Order: sequence, then structure tokens, then C-alpha cells
Amino acid sequence: MKKYIKYVQVSLLALAISSCDNDNYLDVNVDPNNPTEVSPDLILPTAQNYTVRNMYLGVGGRYTNTFGNIMMANWSETDGYSWYDDEFGYIMGSNFYDRIFDYSYINTLKTYQEVINAGDETTDNFTAIAEIMKAYHFQMLVDGYGDIPYFEALQRENAATPAYDSAEAIYDDLIIKLDEAITTIKEADSDDQVPGSGDIVFNGNMTSWIQFANTLKLRILVRQSGMSSKQAYIQENMNNIVAEGSGFLLEDALVNPGYSNDDGKQNPFFQDFGENIAGEAVNNNLATCASEFVIDFLQNASDPRIDRLYEEPAGGHKGTPQGLTNYPDGFEAADVSNIGPGLLKGSTQSSPIMLAAESLFLQAEAAQRGYLSGNAQALYEQAITASFNFLGADANEDGSTDDDAATYFGQSKTNVGWSSSDPIEAIITQKWIALNGTNGWESWVEYNRTGYPANVPVALNQTNADRPVRLSYPASERVGNAANVPNQPNEFSDKIFWAN
Amino acid sequence: MRTKFSGILTLLLAFVVQITFAQEKTVSGTVTDDQGLPLPGVNIIIKGTSSGTQTDFDGIYNLEASNGSTLVFSYIGFETQEVTVGAASSYDVTMEAGNTLDEVVVTSFGIKRQKKQLSYQSEEVDAEQLNVVQPQNVAQGLTGKVAGLQINTTNNGVNPGTKIVLRGLRSISGNSTALVVIDGSIASEGAFNALNPNDVESVNILKGATAAVLYGSDAANGALVVTTKKGSTEKFKVAINSTTTFQEIAYMPEFQSEYGIGWQTQYERIENTNWGPRFDGVVRPIGPTLLDGSFQSVPYAPVQDNLKNFYDTGVTLQNTVSISGGDDTSSFYLSIGEQDTKGIVPGDKYNRNTFRFNGSKTLGDLTLSVNTSYFRDDTSVSGQQIGAQDRPLYWFILNTPNNIPLSNYRDWRNNKFANPDGFYNGYYENPFWAVDNNRDNDKSGRFTSNISAEWQANEWLSFTGRMGINTLSTIGKEYRNGLSFNDDITYSRPNASTSFVTDYERQYLQYTSTFIANGEFDLSDSFSLDALLGATNFTSEDRRSQITANNISVDGFYDISNSAGQLQAAVNEETYRTYGYLGQLNFGYNDYLFLDVSGRYDYTSSLPSDENSYFYPGVGLSFIATDAIPSIKGNVLNYLKITANNSTVYNDLKPYEAVENYLQPAYFPFANTNGFTIQGTATDSDLKKEKINTTEFGANFAFLKNRLTLDASVFKTTTTDLLTQVTPSVTSAASSLLTNIGELEGKGVELTLGAKILSFPESDFSWDANINFSAYETVVNEVSEQTDQAIVQAFADGGIYASEGEAFPQIKGSSYVRDDQGSVVVDQSTGNPIIGDVVSLGKTTPDYIIGLTSNVRYKGFTLSTTWDYRTGHVYYSQLGHQLEFTGRSMASVSSNRQDFVIPNSVYQSGTDANGNPQYVTNTNIPITGGRQNYWTNHYNNIAENYVKDATAVKLRELAIRYSVPSDFLKNTPLNKVSLGVVGTNLLTWLPKENRYADPEFNNNTANSNAVGLGGYFQTPPTRTYGFNINVEF
Repeated sequence: MKKYIKYVQVSLLALAISSCDNDNYLDVNVDPNNPTEVSPDLILPTAQNYTVRNMYLGVGGRYTNTFGNIMMANWSETDGYSWYDDEFGYIMGSNFYDRIFDYSYINTLKTYQEVINAGDETTDNFTAIAEIMKAYHFQMLVDGYGDIPYFEALQRENAATPAYDSAEAIYDDLIIKLDEAITTIKEADSDDQVPGSGDIVFNGNMTSWIQFANTLKLRILVRQSGMSSKQAYIQENMNNIVAEGSGFLLEDALVNPGYSNDDGKQNPFFQDFGENIAGEAVNNNLATCASEFVIDFLQNASDPRIDRLYEEPAGGHKGTPQGLTNYPDGFEAADVSNIGPGLLKGSTQSSPIMLAAESLFLQAEAAQRGYLSGNAQALYEQAITASFNFLGADANEDGSTDDDAATYFGQSKTNVGWSSSDPIEAIITQKWIALNGTNGWESWVEYNRTGYPANVPVALNQTNADRPVRLSYPASERVGNAANVPNQPNEFSDKIFWAN
Repeated sequence: MRTKFSGILTLLLAFVVQITFAQEKTVSGTVTDDQGLPLPGVNIIIKGTSSGTQTDFDGIYNLEASNGSTLVFSYIGFETQEVTVGAASSYDVTMEAGNTLDEVVVTSFGIKRQKKQLSYQSEEVDAEQLNVVQPQNVAQGLTGKVAGLQINTTNNGVNPGTKIVLRGLRSISGNSTALVVIDGSIASEGAFNALNPNDVESVNILKGATAAVLYGSDAANGALVVTTKKGSTEKFKVAINSTTTFQEIAYMPEFQSEYGIGWQTQYERIENTNWGPRFDGVVRPIGPTLLDGSFQSVPYAPVQDNLKNFYDTGVTLQNTVSISGGDDTSSFYLSIGEQDTKGIVPGDKYNRNTFRFNGSKTLGDLTLSVNTSYFRDDTSVSGQQIGAQDRPLYWFILNTPNNIPLSNYRDWRNNKFANPDGFYNGYYENPFWAVDNNRDNDKSGRFTSNISAEWQANEWLSFTGRMGINTLSTIGKEYRNGLSFNDDITYSRPNASTSFVTDYERQYLQYTSTFIANGEFDLSDSFSLDALLGATNFTSEDRRSQITANNISVDGFYDISNSAGQLQAAVNEETYRTYGYLGQLNFGYNDYLFLDVSGRYDYTSSLPSDENSYFYPGVGLSFIATDAIPSIKGNVLNYLKITANNSTVYNDLKPYEAVENYLQPAYFPFANTNGFTIQGTATDSDLKKEKINTTEFGANFAFLKNRLTLDASVFKTTTTDLLTQVTPSVTSAASSLLTNIGELEGKGVELTLGAKILSFPESDFSWDANINFSAYETVVNEVSEQTDQAIVQAFADGGIYASEGEAFPQIKGSSYVRDDQGSVVVDQSTGNPIIGDVVSLGKTTPDYIIGLTSNVRYKGFTLSTTWDYRTGHVYYSQLGHQLEFTGRSMASVSSNRQDFVIPNSVYQSGTDANGNPQYVTNTNIPITGGRQNYWTNHYNNIAENYVKDATAVKLRELAIRYSVPSDFLKNTPLNKVSLGVVGTNLLTWLPKENRYADPEFNNNTANSNAVGLGGYFQTPPTRTYGFNINVEF
């Protein structure tokens, strides 16, 4: 017995010690559920999907599209909901829409930067796409915030508190980065992978990416068109675009990673403003409706897009004034014009990140200002037609199309018919209609630049004469980057550099 | 099975009766100390039984004993003596008070040491103290009884949650839970909670890191060393313990009762809020007019206890049967326990069984033992993701206006005004519907086992090998029914929510093995050495998986097959390993001075191989002053021990924490598209463990022949290289940065006073009390170079922070702006207070905790109470914030819903020459929106309004127990019978400003170090009362 016992002891001892001698014993610190290396083709879809969420999410955080649509009176609030009180009150402050800033850097830009960081010598096309999309987001941030971290940003632990850079210097560098990206794409050789389904915007069509980059350049340049100091610079860069030769965006730039009617996999705009996967209208859908102003505007212009932008209630289109506290009867969800079928098509609809209409309006303005050759009126009318197409306003129920757009812009109404209008005002006003529901942010930015459309009312309970021209730096920067974040410029009077 | 079991019992009883038929006689005598003075209150027990007595005030005892039995005389501070009963009937005994505290205590790895050798403070809670009120888990039984041990009951559901912290928090983001050791092997907090309290012999609380240094990185937070019951070697015993308790709501938040259903002063039939007009008692319609034209009407008046009446009275039955026994070479303990609970929330149920077998056998110089338990439970509670907003149940109850008779809506299946289409509330579901349609059900099984072999090679050398296993397997199902409505309905309804069912599983396996050689040497007449050398390893493997189906097709059928959509699935596996070599040398000099040197060399899997080894040293001194200098020993002071120690331990990283990974965002993959991104937290390239240095001084006094004992200790803990998730700029693209920076410093004092206040053995009366006092504070010395704060958990308008120069954890939140005189600064145009910056609003750990246990005995009756008092801390009430929005708060009626001038307020009139603001007293600018908007949109954006004093006095435990005198049991097979009436949390005093809930409750979705975030995730606070029967054969 004793002998046996000793064996027990010895084996326990052996167990305790042998495990320690084994080199592999501690070699278990590799996460079995999350990879440590991933190639750019599996990162790019994530980044592009973030781009969409950064614009369209509306539940558990609101982003650029909601902000712009409220600011530009596309959307208002249904009776029974206290949904947009902060927006109507212009409650600026470090928590107001701070997610636009935070989400852009922490998710969207981080992931585009990761596409670049994870790449090698065969992934130049991916790098170029990532640079183009970074420019897309950085412009958005400059337009909303002015000076932001740029040159030192996105380096994670290597630069935990990046310095703030001047908005104009960032704008200038975006042009350089876009030029470099275009060059990279053009110089790509057979060793360079061409993105396929990993590019959920253009499916690897690199010419489309160059056109998209050119359109971004166009947007950046047109934005500065009011700056006398920059006229030569603008013209030179416009000439470069023309010289490059690929032209501008011809089709809507749409993202679709493979949306389906599954939880979390619906189109995010449809998910947050349309229906849940059981087909029930979500709260945002009921709470959000047209403003009185936009309904009047569209009806006065006999704009057939009204039925695509807004759902027509049984009693006819009806909007609510922003900031009404005690509603009279008849402003409940069933009575008012909620977001319409041209915007909420279904769970799997694609998400626009730039419409062809916007590209055309930018070209029209550049032509009108003489930066580009071309017929401004023709471009303007093509832009309106593109908007009709996107919204399905030209389509009949039997599938045929007709020329509703031409009928519309043929009217001799101000800001509708070219010849009856101030060209720039008409272009910006029509762009506001075209971007309704899909890029309210850009409408707000263009309003800050041009003051068009004219006479957009502020909310009823508002003491400010006009809407804010910029957002407040977020609370996160006051905590995480306190030494660098500038004093907050006045949100109502300190305009972004291109508007001064 | 049942008949078989009672057959066995009959056999056992017959056997027991045999034993008790021995010849008995009366034995008496006097017990004195070594100076001849009589000793009152000495315990005398007949060895192997639980019968015995105490000496009276003159040191005299009388008891019944049989020839050949052994009387054991014990008295704290004196050496235990044994006397065998022979022919004589009188035995006088002299107790040796010399080598006091010869008690043997169980320390790290089950090593037994004499208490006098220990250079650190530890405290033991025995089975009797633990089970005063027959708690459901051991942690609750420890609450209030040990200095330095703070146990928060964070959730009072059917399976209560607790957070156990020894001597405060030592880490901002890392683990701060005490290590649990059961029968010598590292176990887990889960295994601790799974123990049947009736199976526990004792819990020894090793308070500081020095005590636990041999456990390596697990030692940082002290240890709870649990010893489970073993069979006695001489007696066969059957014990039956049965408890029935009832649970009921102790108190609800304080609600206003002047205004009811409505919004913006208008009466609204479907509101969840109380912003209507003042109550007038008129019968008015509530809820929608249904499609059939019917509607309900109720008086517009408050309904007394309308929310409290939602809850039922809970009932818990607990039964434990144990059989133990043994002989010279073996012992066993066997127990079966069952608990069955019906919760206070309708439908909540909990059932558990515990089984334990502890056995040992000695074969010559070898002792083999096994301690094994199996635990299973079955939980069914209402879900935590109810409705489209994924809210917990209490939220729905709180969103019920004052004048709604909530309990009328119980029968939602048959009552058309209680079903989803007809319920009055247009925003939130009927909570009775919710509990039936949102369930979280799970079943767990836990097996723990511990096998050891001890070989006593010779008198001074022994070897011990031990293997411990702790496994948990859980399967669960969580589901939510979808909420959809009749399509013809035009009135407002809550947001539709989609149904889901989630199946989840967890497999946890933890094993550890240890080999230890222990030698005890007498180096010379004066010097002794106890030496220990060992090796140990530890592995944990955790695997969690879950699979979810959304939008189920067949209504009410919760299976993942029941969906047309994509399933969502996730698996998370984690493996962690350590091993270490350990050694301990304990030098003794003349049995009154001991030097202890301990060390462990430790290797971990969580760091790269070239930087994964750490040395954990500990050194301590123990000095028995009353033995070294006999002259100081007298009638007043009879014992004094002084200790000092220092140790350095390290808090380990979590597995995989040191490596950055790519993650698949939650909504991926889409059809045909997969995607990844780099994790949000950037990690420093050379992470290391947190370093914790502890110094402790202690003294143990005994006065007046041990009638009064005082244990005192002071300690200081410094944590450096804190593993901190620093908040970088978001523009760095990292959401947090994990790095070793910062310093925490903890300081504390603990005092435990034990007193035999009154003792009248002649009239069978005694009163013992124990008061423990703990004061500790953890201060953040440094966070990092870039920032002076790190957020632990955010909430609306604030968060729980680590903030430089301030106590940790600290609540920070938006505040009032005040001038130099402390007057509130208001906006000149609105009269509303200006909302100021996020500032520190208070710490969430108490300044001090006082625990009081008292036992008053008179004849067979014992009255036991446990009180505790905590003060000096605050908490943030998310519940209070919510009550403001619903207009149910007291604050919302404090101005009769009128605009009012904020008392003692000022507004800024301009600035002086230096640009400093100038203020003018505000006498006439009232606030704006007093009828509602001020409260819902302004007042409740000031976090300061919901930071409340967390002081509480609680009567944690009350028990009145009657033990049937042994005389009555003489002619029965029964050895011991006691009956008790027990209660917990029967009384609670809270400061007036805390109108919401028990400040111990914590938001259960929060980070575990985010102490002080009170949510609405629990039920309201409860109390329990019941009775207990304890029978031994």
C-alpha cells in the first residue's frame, strides 16, 4: 500500500512540475475568436459601412443626416413625441450631436486608416480608396467644426492627443491627398489587387473612384468659391481636374453590403426611420414628419417629388411647424406627412453617400462661376432630372417613365425655372430639395455658405434669429484632449473659414 | 427513493440511540487561571458531542457526563485542556494562560499555522455566526461581521448578487474581488456563491496581500479561505435544518400624490407620466377607446401603493440534511440541500440543490481526503430587455402614473384593458404582460472537487499534493415575445418590438494542482523553523456561446429554428494559465518572536514569454509581548501580540488583453460581405502587471482575562503601474489606451472589539457583543501625464471616475454654478440655474463602516442581531432621474408646479475690470417651465440633483432562537433541537434626501468597479422574515 501511495505523491509532484517545464504550457495567449491579422479587402467593407452609419443612424444616437434635415426644415415632429426638442432649441453644447465627431474618428476614419495600415505593396488600390474616403469624412468634419486634428490624427497610441490644425490647411491638404490617390490608382499595375465585392460602393470600378475623387475635389473647391484670396488656386485645381480627364461622378454613389431584413442588417436609415424586421413602423417613423415650411414650398412649386419625399396622409399633405409645444388636434402620426416612399423603399435599399444630382449641381455652379466650361443651365436641369430619377418621381406605376422633371423645371417659377431665377440661388435651393432625406448635412453646410434656400424659418420656440453655423467641440475632446482643443468659437456667428 | 432514504434514516437512528445509552453521572469542579483566580465563562464540552456547559462567575461548573468521556475545557487566550472522566465526580482544572492563541488557523494552500506565528491580520467567522439567519449564500452571512470586509448586495432578486471587497478597491480597471479558496484550492466567486452555508465550517478572511502572497497574482485583493465541514472522528451525527422565509417589499421610492396622468398640465388618457392637472377625484376615462367603443374610467385620484401592489410576497424554503461521522482513521460528511424560491416578481422562480461529500482516510503515515460538491440550479426571471427600448421590468412599473390601479391589469389574457391592444399606456407595455412574455431561464451545474494526499514522512516533514477542480456549465434561454397590434387600431401604442430567442451556453473549467513540502524544525532550544516549499499551477478555460433568432414565426414558440431570418451566433473562448514556485520560512525565537519570509515566483500566460515572470515577496514579524515581557502581563492586560508586514504583489492582465485584435462589428456579416476592424482599445506595446505594495501593522490585545479583546490594524496599500484604460483624444482613433500609468493609494484602520459584556452563569444569562470598525480611503495619486481622470462608467450628464487627488471611485457630473457665497447662479432671462461643468460630486465608498453583532443568551434563548452602519459616501440614482421625467418625484411638486424664484440665487450682472463675473441677488426672476419643462428638461440635466447621501443603518440580521435544554432530550434520540425566528433587513434607516432605493444596489450592466451607480435594474428593496428548525441526532 505504502509503495502505491508514494507513486501518488510522485505523480502529483510530476504533474505540478512537468506542466511548468513545458514551453507550450503558457503559450495560450492567442485570442481564438478574433484574428490578429486581416487583409484590407476585409476591412474596407467595414469602413464603408461605417460611412453610411455615420450619416444615417437615428436611434441610439443621431448623425449628420438627421441633424441637417432638422436644421434645414425638411423634418419636424409629430404630436405626441418630444423627439427633437434639443434640435429645435439649438441646444448647442459639447454633448449636442457629439457622436458625429466621435464616431467619425473612432470608427469610420480609424477603419479607413486601418485599410492603409494593414496593406502591403499589392493593395495600392485599397489605399487609394481609403484616402479618398478619408478626404470625404475630413471635409465633413471641417465643414461642421472648423479646426480639427488632422495631420497628427489617427495614430492611436503613437499620438494620443493630436494637435488641432487650421481648417484651411486641412482643406488644402485634402486636395493633395485626392490627387495622390488618383495618381496611385492610375499607376496601379498588374501586381495590384483590384477590389471586388470588398468594395461595397463601386465594386472595384476604379474609374468610378477617380470620378468620385474628382467630384470631392470639385466640392472642396466650390465651397471656397467665395474667397477672393483663393480664386487662382481654385481655377488651377479645376484645370487639373479637367486635365486628368476622367470627369465627375455620373451615377449615384450607393453603398450596399448586402442588406437584408434581419436584425441589425437592414439598411440603417430604413431600420431607424422606417420599419423593424417584423414590418412594424418604428417610433422614429411616427415621430418624424415634414415641416410646414417644406410642404408649403413643394406645393407652391407644384413639385411632384412631394409624394416621394413624404407619405401622403388621407387628408392630404400636412407638415408641422418646428417647436410647437401644444399641438391642436389633427397632428398625430396618421394626420401628418411622414418620411415618404422615395426615401424609405425597403430593408435592402442602398445607402447614397453622394447623389449624381449633387455632382451635377456642383458642376452647374462651377460652370456658372466660370471655373469650368459647360452649360450651367443644362447641368442644372440634368441635376433636377437625376433627383427625379433617384426618388422615382418620374416613374409611373406601370414601370414606364415620363418627363415630369422637364415639366417641373419648365415652370417659370423662381428657383425652379432657370430663366426665372438667380442661378446660384436656384442651384443651391434645388440642391436642398434633391438632398432632402439623404444628405441634410450638405444642405446645412451649403446654407451656411450661401444663405440659400432663403427664408427657412427657425423653430417657433427659438430666440436665435438663425440656425447654428457650426457644432460645438464634443465633450470627449474636453476630457481626452483638453490641452489642445481650442476655445469654443461661437456656434451662431463664427463661420467656417470658407464662409467668411 | 424516498422510502429507501427513510429506511436508512431509521437504521441511523437506531445506531445513534445505541450510543446515547451509556451511563451518565454529574461531574463538577472549579476552573481557575494560573494565579488561582476563578475563570468565569469557560466552555466545557464533552468531546465528540455538542453538549456542554460554561463555568459560572465563581469558575464552577456542573454537567452530566459518562465514565470514560473526555471533557474539553476551552477559553479564548488559554490553552485548551482535556480531562478524562474516571471514577471521581469532581475535577478542578487550572488553565494555562501562557501560550495564548494557540488556535490553529488555516492559511494559504490549506497550510495550518498557529495563530501566534501569523504576522498579518485575519479573522475567522464560524458556522454559527454565519448561519444566524440561515442566509441563502455565504456572502450575506458574512455581511457586517468582519472589519474591512465590505459586502454589497447589489441585487435582491431570487438569486441575489453580491460584490465582495476587502479593504477597498486597489485597481481602477482591474479585478478587485477577493480570492476564494475552498479547502485549500483556488475556487471562484461563483463557487463561493454556490456553497450551501450549512456546509461551511468556517471562513477565514485573510485581509491583506501579505497573507495571500503565496497565491501570486490572485493575492492582491486578499482571500476568503473557506473550510467545509468534515466528519467528527468520534461521533455519528445526523443534522436536519429547515428554514422558511418570506420576502416582501420593504419600502418604495417616495412618490408625490398630488398630480396624475398627463403631459404639459393637460389630462392625457394614455400617458406614462404624471404631468396632468392636480387631482380632483372626478371619474375620468383612461386609456384608448377600443375598437368596440368601450373604454375604462377611474377616479382622478392617487391609488395607494399602486406600484407596490404589483409585487407578490416571496417564499423561500431551504432544507439541508447532513450525515457525518468517522472513526480513528477516517471521517466523512455528507449533505443534501435544497432551496426553492418564489420571487416577489410574479413568475420569478429559483430552485437549487447542493450535494456534498467530504471524506478522509488515514493509512499509516498517509492521509487521503476528498471534498466534493455538486450544485445545480434552475432560474426563471423576467427578462432584462423588455420592449423596443430593451428596458428592465422595474422601468415599466415606474412608468405607471399615480392614479392607475396597476394590479387590476394582472389578467392580460382575458381582460381587454390589460392586453397589448387595450392597455391604457400608450408608451410602455403592461408589466404583467411583460413578465409573461419576456423570460430569462437558465440552468447551471457546478462541480467542485478537491483531492489531496498528505504524507507525514516523519515527525518534522510532510508532503502534500492537492488537485482542485471547479467546473460550471450553464445553459439558458432568453426570449422576448414580439409586440404587434391590431392593424385597425388608430390610437397611440408603444413602439412595436420584435421577438427574439437566444440560446446560450457556458462551459467553465478551472483546475489547479499543488505540491507542498512542509518541515517543522527545532533548530535549538530557542530557535524553531517552519519551512515550506512548493509548486503550483492553475488553468482556467471559459467558453461562452450564444445563438439568437429574431422575429420568430410561430407565436409563443421559442426555438431558434422558428425564424425566417439569419441567426446571429457568437462564441467566446478564453484560456488562462499560471504556474509558480513558492516558499515560506517562519523562524521562531522562544515562541514569542516570529519572522516570516515568503515568496512566490510566478509565470503567467497573459504576457509574452520574455516578460511573464514576477516575484512576489512578503516579509512579516509577529511578537507576543506578553510572553516576551511577562511583567506587563497582569489582571488588566493578559495578552498582547504585535505584528508588522510588507509585501509586493502584482495584479495580472486579463487573457489577450496585451494583444490588439481585429473584431467583427456586431452587424457583420451581411449577405456576401464580411468585415473586420481593429479593436477600439489601443494597447501599449510593453504592458506589465499592476504592482501593489502593502504595509500593515497590527496589534491584538486581550484584557480582563479575555473578557475584552481588541484587534487593531493600520495598513497602507500603494498600487503603481496601474493597468488603466486612459481616455485619449478620440481623434487618435483609439477609444481608449491601455497602459501602465497612474498610482492609487489606499489607507485604512480596522478595529475589532469583542466583549463579554455581561455573564451570569448562575442565572444562565450572558451578553456578548462584537463591534468592528473599518475606515479606509483609496485616493488617486496620478492618472497619467496627459489627463487627470479616467472614466470607469458613464451615465447621463456624468460618470464614475478615477480623478487625480480624489477618492476613488468618484462621481462626477453636471452641477449648479455657484458664486463665492455658494448661491446658485441663474440665467437672467429664464431664471433657471445655469448648468455648470462636470465636477466631482462625491466618493462612493464609505468613510467608515461599523458592524455590530450581539448575542444575548438567557437559558435556552438567544437573541442575535447584526447591525451595520455605513456613511460618508454618495451614490447616483438613475431611478431618481427617471422619476423626474415621469413627474412622480417629490421634487416635481415642491413648487406646486408653479414658476418660483430659486431661493438664495444670483444672476450675473456683468464683469469687473479684471473680467471676473459680478453677481446680483435674484429676488424676482422665477424659473421658466415650472409646470413641467423645468423639471423634465432642465432640473434633470443637473446630475448633482441625483447624487445622494448613501448612508445607511441596517438591522441586517435578527434571530431569536430557542434551544431545547438537553434535559428534555435525554430520553429521545435527539441530541439538539433548536427553533428560531429569523429576519433580514427588517429595519433600514436612510437619510431623508435618499428617497429612492437601497444605496447598495448597483446597475448590473455597469463595470464592476463602478460602485455607486444605482439603477432601476432591481426590484425595490426587500426584507425577509421566517423561521428555522434545527435538529441533530
